[in-house]
Amino acid sequence: MNRYRCVFLMGVEQALEYRVSFLLSMLSAVFPIIIQTTMWNYLYSHSDAAAVFGYEQGQILLYALLANIVTQLVSTGFEGEMNEDIKMGGLNKYLVRPIEYRGYQFFRFLGQKIPRLMVIAPVMVIIIAAAVWQGLALSAGRVSAFLISLLLAVILNFLIYFCVGLLGFWFTDVDKLFGTISIVLIVLSGGVFPMDIFGGFWEKLMQWMPFGYATQFSVNIINGRLDWGHVGIGFLFQTGWIICFACLGHILWKRGLKRYAAIGG
Amino acid sequence: MKKIKRYLKLMGVFSKYSLMSALEYRINFVTGITVEMGWMIIKLLYVAIIYKAGTNIGILTPDHILLFVGTYMLMTGFFMLYYGNFASLPGMIQKGELDLYLVKPVSVQFLVTMRRLDFAYLLPELAAGIFMIVLGWHLAGLPVGFVPIAGFLFYLLCGCLLTYSLFLLPYILSFWTISVGGIADITNALWDFNNMPSLIYGKWFRRFGTYILPVFVITNFPGLFLMGELSPFGCFWGAAAPVIFFLLTRRLWKISLKRYSSASS
Repeated sequence: MNRYRCVFLMGVEQALEYRVSFLLSMLSAVFPIIIQTTMWNYLYSHSDAAAVFGYEQGQILLYALLANIVTQLVSTGFEGEMNEDIKMGGLNKYLVRPIEYRGYQFFRFLGQKIPRLMVIAPVMVIIIAAAVWQGLALSAGRVSAFLISLLLAVILNFLIYFCVGLLGFWFTDVDKLFGTISIVLIVLSGGVFPMDIFGGFWEKLMQWMPFGYATQFSVNIINGRLDWGHVGIGFLFQTGWIICFACLGHILWKRGLKRYAAIGG
Repeated sequence: MKKIKRYLKLMGVFSKYSLMSALEYRINFVTGITVEMGWMIIKLLYVAIIYKAGTNIGILTPDHILLFVGTYMLMTGFFMLYYGNFASLPGMIQKGELDLYLVKPVSVQFLVTMRRLDFAYLLPELAAGIFMIVLGWHLAGLPVGFVPIAGFLFYLLCGCLLTYSLFLLPYILSFWTISVGGIADITNALWDFNNMPSLIYGKWFRRFGTYILPVFVITNFPGLFLMGELSPFGCFWGAAAPVIFFLLTRRLWKISLKRYSSASS
């Protein structure tokens, strides 16, 4: 366990390596929030948007504020590096060391999230406190459910992208493909807009597919859109998908290693 | 005049080699197109929401907004054509790779920012942008004639120059700070303000985005001209801002280049 603690601390150090870049990156998350809150405020004050989209104004505004932050928290970026390791033989050094590659990537990913979390957590508290002040009914149970779902979302997103990264065993140059997958997954997870505003088909898709459990599910717990029954079902789905992707990752890793040529390194 | 001709010829050579390279690595080219299509989905979601709400934004009907977002897509395509060069600038400074360009008998800025053109990013945005502009133009019943078309194209051209100048500025910062990711994030986030027409934002925000950091000029002015909603000063500013910002960027580039110290042998 001690070696994973070292990997975790290395992740923290890596995230803080370029501090100006880190701060600029955090600041960039504010801009989409401005665009979306302005748009929703306008639409809700000039049309019967609540009936059209199925969200109350407070719910959708809280969604716009939190979805971007949650996306920042769960976002990955290690899949490109995995592809590089597979392609250039960098994987060799992990295979001969007493460390599991998935564990290494996971703890480094968690470590890299710590500085981000230290900025995001107070912002989140302020946003939620402001929402409560504006009349959002919030219980300790809902806050706990939100935090648990957030933790599970981080794990789920890691496992999804770990499987995506393993595609490097089968495709020679997938850097741009990762870009496409990443954008599509952000949209499908509700990282831009809640997908259920587009109607029944999308609502069902978000319920059954894993992607919505990376962002939309957590945010809809805190903004009060989901009742406790749906929260319970959501947790079952979220846990189920985590198990599915953990197994899938394991199978892909085993099969991928058989194809691995260990060139270079 | 001779100088312009020489640079245009060089641009032709860069285009030819970029196209040849794109066609050599066809899978890369196709995945590049899919990445851009992923980003297009996000822009289309904004349009879908406006049509679903069925409300006007000030004087703009959803059909006008379709034209504005189409213009935004088209400009994104042109920006993405050379954006890869901007993105690689911090890395080049970090690794000392500018040396090779400094000794060439051509403008270093031109060489560094235009040497590689990515047609995979241009094509989907160009096709979708033109389609949306034509459809929006037709549905909104806007005038068709020499003056509207020529004016629209003129402000598109001005927008291209302004995009180049305005969005090169943050990357020039990398001569001072070598961090990479944050600069790219903040540039992309700024660009995204054009997801919606500027009329949706408040008066002071709109003024800031038109006169101080004129991102709104890029995609709003062609459409506003077409609608006859551009004031005489607006017409002047739409043409002057690109020249002012180009001169500013040029000056800053020259100052920044003096800070460059080669890092390699």
